[in-house]
Amino acid sequence: MTGTVQRHASQGVVWRADNEADLREGIEAAFDYRGDVTLLLKDGTRVEGYLFDRRPRPSLEESLVRLIPAGRTEKLVFRYADIAGIEFSGRDMAAGRRWQDWVRRYAEKKAAGETGIRLDPERLD
Amino acid sequence: MAIPISQMWTVAAYVLKQKLKGRRRYPLVLMLEPLFRCNLACAGCGKIQYPVHILKQNMPPEECFRAVDECGAPIVSIPGGEPLLHPQIHEIVDGLIARKKYIYLCTNALLLKEKLHLFRPSKYLTFSVHLDGQKEHHDFSVCREGGYEIAVEAIREAVRRGFRVTTNTTLFDGADPKSVRAFFDEMMDLGVEGMMLSPGYAYEKAPNQELWLQRERTKKLFRLILSNRKKRWVFNLSPLFMEFLMGLRELSCTPWGMPTYNLFGWQRPCYVQQDGYAESFRELLEETEWERYGPESGNPKCANCMMHSGFEATAVNHTFSGWRGFLDTIRATFSLYPDAQAAEDLERMQPAPHPWELVQIGAGPREKTS
Repeated sequence: MTGTVQRHASQGVVWRADNEADLREGIEAAFDYRGDVTLLLKDGTRVEGYLFDRRPRPSLEESLVRLIPAGRTEKLVFRYADIAGIEFSGRDMAAGRRWQDWVRRYAEKKAAGETGIRLDPERLD
Repeated sequence: MAIPISQMWTVAAYVLKQKLKGRRRYPLVLMLEPLFRCNLACAGCGKIQYPVHILKQNMPPEECFRAVDECGAPIVSIPGGEPLLHPQIHEIVDGLIARKKYIYLCTNALLLKEKLHLFRPSKYLTFSVHLDGQKEHHDFSVCREGGYEIAVEAIREAVRRGFRVTTNTTLFDGADPKSVRAFFDEMMDLGVEGMMLSPGYAYEKAPNQELWLQRERTKKLFRLILSNRKKRWVFNLSPLFMEFLMGLRELSCTPWGMPTYNLFGWQRPCYVQQDGYAESFRELLEETEWERYGPESGNPKCANCMMHSGFEATAVNHTFSGWRGFLDTIRATFSLYPDAQAAEDLERMQPAPHPWELVQIGAGPREKTS
């Protein structure tokens, strides 16, 4: 996808900034996203991880994003000015987990006579 | 058992000291989240929706202690995730007890019984067990049938072994007030020290025209639940915050009153909203644009919020703001809030046919499932 990105991007969307407004909007979408993203840097580097913070300032040089790469605990910092685009590469961990989704699922299972109805946490292994 | 005098004195002395120092913004309770991982998967929970590599992380005890020392709040609440999944949780608790912090270890209690041996009873340590009402309501709320019975058994055992235990209840729009009042009886029968309450809040939802109506519904619900209360019910909440929930008092939000520290840093601006992270507590206090938050700010994300994390510190601050606040608190502490209209409304109410007609407060119009 090129150009304006929807604020709530979904898994698989690849976004490249055409201009400053696009870049800022895309970074806000990445900040809202509950999965890993891959930063596509202008020097060709790809960095994948969870983007947990962004600090917009008037200039792109001063504006920063912070990201924790998979399998590490360190927090990496990147300037907006160095980012060419973002790939929403990781699974969206919020998808399908709205309260309303549970209410619907529970009512269906209950009506079918099921017992021991539950949602289980994410497997970590 | 009531809250120890030493705890009340510690909090009172701390607040008065902040006021004497002229501090406008000070923390009351640090919400320390040493992990996001949980053994429940409550629908809509914003605390567990992270990639696996984030969910696997555990905050080292030393980092917990640095945050606690930096913040300085007299009370440390440890939510999560589920803190009992942290392999060093007992070391964290021991370190905080050594610092004479009053700890509320928030747990869904699924692991409490088997982990109790890791802890020793102390006036500084309270297990705050998350229970969202009577059996059917709680199980539905935490998306796991059978969870209530495990938690109640763990409470019994913890009380038997001499631990301080409170309950922590989140109520949703559509909750059955009669059932909630029966739940209070059940909890007091179990021997808990007190009960905490808060309205649930789906803070990420888009604004809509029902925002204020929903806040009014919250007040109506709490008025039915908390009016005409029984003497035996003990609440572990500021009495002025409870008046706020009942719609008897207006309070503004104090988002810095219960700051949150987690794996990402100091969460801006508060426990329920994530608008970025500060690297130090000082940075959080000094560089957050606080005027952008709270119902009075016009921020739609805050419009419906009445959670304790935003308003209880305001209530405590009012208590110590002068004789008026002090007298208000004394009066509220001993009032049972007789309310004939509320009693009549409660009597007329039919139990909700299904607990699954609950919705998260702030989640928009109620969605019928049948």
